[in-house]
Amino acid sequence: MRRQIPLILTFLTGIAIFIAFFIPHKPFNEVQDILLDWAIIIAGFALLLGIHSLLRKHITHIKKKDGGWGYSLILTFFFVGVFTVGIFSAIQYKGYSLTPGSLLYFVYDYMVIPLSATMFALLAFFIASAAYRAFRARRLNATLLLIAAVVVMLGRVPIMENAFFNFLSRFSDWFMFIPQMAAKRGILIGVALGAFAMSLRIILGIERTYLQ
Amino acid sequence: MKERKGLIIGSVILIIIFIGMLIKGEPSKNIMVWIAAILTLSIYSFLYRDNIFYKFAEHLFVGVSVGYSVSVVYQNAFIRRVFDPLFITRTYIVEGQFHILPFLAVVIPTLIGLLMVSVFTKRQAWLIRIPIAFVVGSYAGMSISPSFQANIFEQTRSTLHIALSISSFIMIFGVITTLVYFFFSKEHKGFLGRTANVGIWFIMIAFGASFGYTVMARISLLIGRMNFLLYDWLGVIK
Amino acid sequence: MNVLLAILFLMQQTPDSLSTDTVEIVRPAPPTDVIAMDTPNDVGGSVSVQWEISEDDGKGLNNVILYNVFRGQSEEGPFDYIGTVGAGRTSYDDQTVEKDKVTYYYIVKAQTKEGVESEASNVASGKAAPQWFHHGRWNILILGILFALFFAFYIRMAKGKELFIRKIAGLDAVEEAVGRSTEMGKPVLFCPGIGYLYDIATIAALTILGRVAKKTAEYETRIIMPNYDPVVMSAAQEIVKQSYTEAGRPDDFNEKDIFYLTQDQFGFAAGVDGIMLREKPGAIFLQGVFYAEALILAETGHSVGAIQIAGTDRVTLLPFFISACDYTLIGEEMFAASSYLSRDPVMLGSIKGSDAAKVAIISVILVGAILGILGGLNIGPFGTWFQSLVNWFGRG
Repeated sequence: MRRQIPLILTFLTGIAIFIAFFIPHKPFNEVQDILLDWAIIIAGFALLLGIHSLLRKHITHIKKKDGGWGYSLILTFFFVGVFTVGIFSAIQYKGYSLTPGSLLYFVYDYMVIPLSATMFALLAFFIASAAYRAFRARRLNATLLLIAAVVVMLGRVPIMENAFFNFLSRFSDWFMFIPQMAAKRGILIGVALGAFAMSLRIILGIERTYLQ
Repeated sequence: MKERKGLIIGSVILIIIFIGMLIKGEPSKNIMVWIAAILTLSIYSFLYRDNIFYKFAEHLFVGVSVGYSVSVVYQNAFIRRVFDPLFITRTYIVEGQFHILPFLAVVIPTLIGLLMVSVFTKRQAWLIRIPIAFVVGSYAGMSISPSFQANIFEQTRSTLHIALSISSFIMIFGVITTLVYFFFSKEHKGFLGRTANVGIWFIMIAFGASFGYTVMARISLLIGRMNFLLYDWLGVIK
Repeated sequence: MNVLLAILFLMQQTPDSLSTDTVEIVRPAPPTDVIAMDTPNDVGGSVSVQWEISEDDGKGLNNVILYNVFRGQSEEGPFDYIGTVGAGRTSYDDQTVEKDKVTYYYIVKAQTKEGVESEASNVASGKAAPQWFHHGRWNILILGILFALFFAFYIRMAKGKELFIRKIAGLDAVEEAVGRSTEMGKPVLFCPGIGYLYDIATIAALTILGRVAKKTAEYETRIIMPNYDPVVMSAAQEIVKQSYTEAGRPDDFNEKDIFYLTQDQFGFAAGVDGIMLREKPGAIFLQGVFYAEALILAETGHSVGAIQIAGTDRVTLLPFFISACDYTLIGEEMFAASSYLSRDPVMLGSIKGSDAAKVAIISVILVGAILGILGGLNIGPFGTWFQSLVNWFGRG
């Protein structure tokens, strides 16, 4: 029973949504939107598990005064602080806490955004180090990868204005449109088939690892 | 020891440059810009090695982002979709009449969601499988058709957009050899093996091209952060 | 012609001061052949109106800039304005129809820049109705059923048989990676990316997790897993617990090592980077859905000297994994992994089904290419056949 009920539920919801895709008539046209709405509510409850896991871990650290417990304190402090700000903003703006001018919006603008942008920009360093390593790997595949990368990169940013770079620029466009696109299409078709097989296995209850 | 010395010299040089910039430029008078700048530098410090500045910025970031996402989810899931329709707008009462369907549309997902919490009990923990099964089933059913449309149909159709040219030939050849690489039920040897090998070459060339294509976009991100540090914060460049 | 231009010029300059009695208004020709019919493949409540463009749209006086559509309850009117489309367009979907299966009457008028409307077109009538089947999606249904039949067939064939599946390099390296981690006395880090449990790639990642956890249980090595989605976390805890139980070491399982981090993309990346720097794992698995943070994680992982096995179905992120990790499961390889690892005949059968679907697609492309070439050389009816094949794939 503990196995059957979830499997039957997966089967029914999966099939219902799949069929609804082909029926424009009411109420089938609304099935997808309704279930997506439901999924958002359910995900909201799931977050309680997340908070529990996170706080349990860090509060234990703080209590035991493990090495680095100070960082756990910082994390907990900022979590509680920002969440309080969130509730405060939600009350102030009647449920629309992300209205520009609210405190939560301020946190978003001055903390979440710059920190994210900073992490994101790390990619500039890492893309260079990854390219360097690909360059040193003396395997045919790595070499092909690197040659293509250099060709497209130089084609996108012509260093000089001359016939060679003009050619390179047009060649790299062609390169993106034809060979690059060919492999991408092959991979996408494969992914779609693999995902289809997986979805089918999930709906039919063959794949059930996620329900351990 | 040698490394230590280098580090000290490097830091001193950096501090001198920094003080020079502070004096020469027009540093920001906004405290938030200072905080953002210091956090930015703290994050970058991990490129050298793990250190207290990075640890501080990292834990702050995780704490802030959890607090932020919990606030957003709390608002989108509970306030907008459960609390408002149940108690404020009362979507299930139309012209003084109680309607069961709009009522259930809010109550059922709330009950399913509540089962998530069953994991905290020892004996009824299996109930968490119900919301999981529901969500996974919905998305499994939902993903099939759009993925067919966007990946199988659209890609096959675009591949068939052919003219009598070398490009068309390369396109078709590339798509087919790549697909052959993803053959799992036959050993890759003989003709199949050679074709699959060409397929992996195509894949590698494609990855290289898309790598090269992204490099400049990523570097512009770094330029954006440098601009923040030198323009918004230190006011050295104008 | 000059007179006409002068009039138009005057009208534009002083539209209010000129009375319609004194100046002859030049009306554009009305659109013709108006028809109205139910909008296909919808939930009802919509009528599509179509027409032939006015004589003065793009030719003739060339002064039409838009078409106004009007609706009435009876053939004689009155007609209420319902919407406008630009010149050159020949259709409008009236989505404001209140009642299905009731006849409404439509007229269309052309209008010039100066706001002069043409005479009314002919009156067309139509009803809205909901449909029970989306006719543009036949192709998906047919192909879906066909492929599902392939799977059913091969799954049936597979029962009780040993099926061959080719080697997948990244998967064979799982044992090596965990073994090396154990020798070095370091933990194993499994990162499921920033997907949710409903992402197919995340589910594939969890299957791989089950296998990795079994190895870590056997080798008595610690496995750490930071999570982005709390539901993935709960599922992962159960999966790892199960693997430890199967390996006969249920007591070694530590639930707290499979924990929640944050649901923010870069916050997650910062947190996982910190864990990598502090725990210095000997093996790192980056499996699931990744976006820009992929390279940040993979390069940090490399810098702490871990052996890295990545896998994702995101085509744009694969290049970074390929260049930064030791092994990468490319797209479908990752989905095949769960079947490969389970060695369950039914699962393996579904891989064969997917291969059969690939053969079908390759055949379509080859046949299409031949038809296209013959069509391009203007031989026989191949050109039209080719076009209908392409169109079939473009429906919906």
